[in-house]
Amino acid sequence: MSATPDDTKDNAEEHAFRLRAREWLRTHLPPRRLQDEPMMDWADKALIARDRESQRALWEGGLAGITLPREYGGLGLDRRYADIYYEEAQPYRLPWHFGNAFNIVLPTLLAHGSEELKRRYVPAILRGEHLWCQLLSEPSGGSDLAGLTTRAELRGDHWLLNGSKVWTTGGLDCDMGICLARTDPTVPKHAGLTMFLVDMTSPGLAINPIKLISGTVDFCQEFFDDVAVPADHVLGEVGGGWAVASTQLGAEKASMARGWYEGLAAAVESDEIELKDEYGRMARSLGVHEDPRARQLIGEAFVLDAVHTLTTRRVSAGIRNGALPPTAGTLSSLLVALCDVRRSALLSGISGPAGVAAKPGEEGLQWGMTRVTRHRIGGGTTEMQRNGVAERHLGLPRDEADIADRTVPFNRRKVNPDRAQ
Amino acid sequence: MDINITEDQRMLQDATRRYLEARAPVTYLRQLVEAQTPMPDIAWREGAGQGWLAPFVPESLGGMAESAQGAIDAAIVAEEMGRVVYPGHYLPNSVLAFAIAQWGSQAQRETLLPALAAGEQRGAWCFAAPGVDSGTAPDGVRLERSGGQITLRGVAANVQSAPDADLLLVTATDGEGVTQLLLPAATAGIEVRALDTLDLGRRLADVEFRDVSVTADAVLGAHGAAADCFEQQLQLALVLHCAETVGVIDRALEFTLDYVQQRYAFGRPIGSFQALKHRLADHAAQHEGGKALVARAAKAVQEQAADAAVAVSIAKSHCGRWATEIIRDCLHMHGGIGMTWEHDIQFYLRRAVSNEALWGSPAVHHERLCRLAGL
Repeated sequence: MSATPDDTKDNAEEHAFRLRAREWLRTHLPPRRLQDEPMMDWADKALIARDRESQRALWEGGLAGITLPREYGGLGLDRRYADIYYEEAQPYRLPWHFGNAFNIVLPTLLAHGSEELKRRYVPAILRGEHLWCQLLSEPSGGSDLAGLTTRAELRGDHWLLNGSKVWTTGGLDCDMGICLARTDPTVPKHAGLTMFLVDMTSPGLAINPIKLISGTVDFCQEFFDDVAVPADHVLGEVGGGWAVASTQLGAEKASMARGWYEGLAAAVESDEIELKDEYGRMARSLGVHEDPRARQLIGEAFVLDAVHTLTTRRVSAGIRNGALPPTAGTLSSLLVALCDVRRSALLSGISGPAGVAAKPGEEGLQWGMTRVTRHRIGGGTTEMQRNGVAERHLGLPRDEADIADRTVPFNRRKVNPDRAQ
Repeated sequence: MDINITEDQRMLQDATRRYLEARAPVTYLRQLVEAQTPMPDIAWREGAGQGWLAPFVPESLGGMAESAQGAIDAAIVAEEMGRVVYPGHYLPNSVLAFAIAQWGSQAQRETLLPALAAGEQRGAWCFAAPGVDSGTAPDGVRLERSGGQITLRGVAANVQSAPDADLLLVTATDGEGVTQLLLPAATAGIEVRALDTLDLGRRLADVEFRDVSVTADAVLGAHGAAADCFEQQLQLALVLHCAETVGVIDRALEFTLDYVQQRYAFGRPIGSFQALKHRLADHAAQHEGGKALVARAAKAVQEQAADAAVAVSIAKSHCGRWATEIIRDCLHMHGGIGMTWEHDIQFYLRRAVSNEALWGSPAVHHERLCRLAGL
């Protein structure tokens, strides 16, 4: 549903920009069809190709990188113009596969990149040439990111990377990756890390897709076998990788709160609560809409949806205007995860036996086991989010074992004795 | 409360907190409970004298309704009352002041509003039949009209502050619809039967109407036309009830967070153990959710937005359920001391559990939401 953009606050220049964007978008971008087309699907090669074309077209049409500095290919305009653009872009499909590149890589690159890296890689994103992925998690650990073991060793004018990364969104289709690796195992874990920019077509880099329970193949695992990275492709300082990763993770959290590739959350939203038809339709199609037990669960689902939406909005607005501390962001991420877990239970509860056994071709099974791969693990497990709320927002003390692990040199920390090398 | 409250509302919040901490801290409730005495009239008059009902009373009668945001301002006050488990009569008197200001005749407004606002008269609202589904429908009292005479019959259950009330607002039904009346609690045929309450800071009663005969001038608004008035009053009551619950959770979480950092076991603060930390994180997240919902409900009710009915039921379900869950767990985190009579957390838990059950349990509001969704 797209509200009519509010153009009454525009000045003359803004209004001219709005009209130009409106006309250009109408003639160049495909319509938004979120009902039957996902924002991202890394198995849909045609959709990815279409997003590359759209981003290229945006560049050529002078609508890419609205707030980015001109020296890196942006338009150098203020925030208000980006808002206007996103308001006008509501009816269209934006190139959402560039979400990682815009939301996560760009802010990190701008904050930590050398002048040369910025001039080379920022415009390549704007031109639709580079899709980016993040090479962070590893098979040996995801939550304990700073405990990663992929190592990078300097060999003259290049680094050699060895190890493995996993849970890389779109790894097979991305052109570039931002990769955290260990460059010094003799210092405490956070201090020995460095961030690299890696060409995903490099020799020695093998990329395998991972099929999830739901059947989707958005994630990949990568194996690094003497992958060479030019010495100048370090982002930030050697040994300063954790600071870069913090910028990156912060950007990821902020974009999740805001809505992927903006576009969605930038919609002119009313703060009224709407009860979704989805539950009623589902209950009717399963014939349980008059069952008092099902109605209890449906009522609770309405509550969950409202908690999810209103809390996210309250927290991001509160942080923006200073009424809430930045750490309050941890509250809404945790709550969204808690809501998702409960919603999954409600949906299978409402569907009952129909959620686990359906006549061929009939509805039902899609409700039996929903969202098992979402939120509770991805983007930080709920346990890590709870630590975040407790330690950063509520100010509760850290666990002693955690403090010990953070201070001991990496190569002398406690490991599983069966796996010790 | 809403993160966008105005400067005036911030001052109202600060002033209310200062007043309640000075004059009615939770130790005051303990004194009343241990002396087995209800809050004296003079204490309610002093509280009302803070201007608590002014947002509902027009300026011509000494209030500030024109410049206030009634439901939002009142929710700010109610939340502060929750923090100290205040034993006063704020909710029913707010509903009465609101109803009389909205639908009262000139005479009703002029005689009753100043007296309510000053705390000289105290009101209670009678409407709900007893039972597990109680609290959201005017199904307790039936009305019969013959000529100019009206007769009331039935029982209104769990009426808040009824044992202390001088004035009753009664919402009754007959074949023509919903009608509201204002009558003295001392009217012949009315029996107020005080109940034993889990919440030691709140007095409830069943109010029985035995062929109570009144004249048509007791009617508030028009005969048979008060269904929407009832809904608006219910929405206001739910906003205040939920805002109070948010205050109850807020304070209980505050002192529990202090406690887990001061209390040491196994050589470290118990608040450093993930077993506690993770639960407290969940509680803080659900509590923030409750604040967001109550803020929306207050705004929706104040603006009479299309989602007002939905917003109050959503807030009531969430706040009701999580207040009990969170404060029960806060008690647990206090260990043995939390189980003792001498610890104040009991008052918080008692109010939380009561607030979950009264004014419609979560189950009642889930069903109401389904009906509002056309299901």
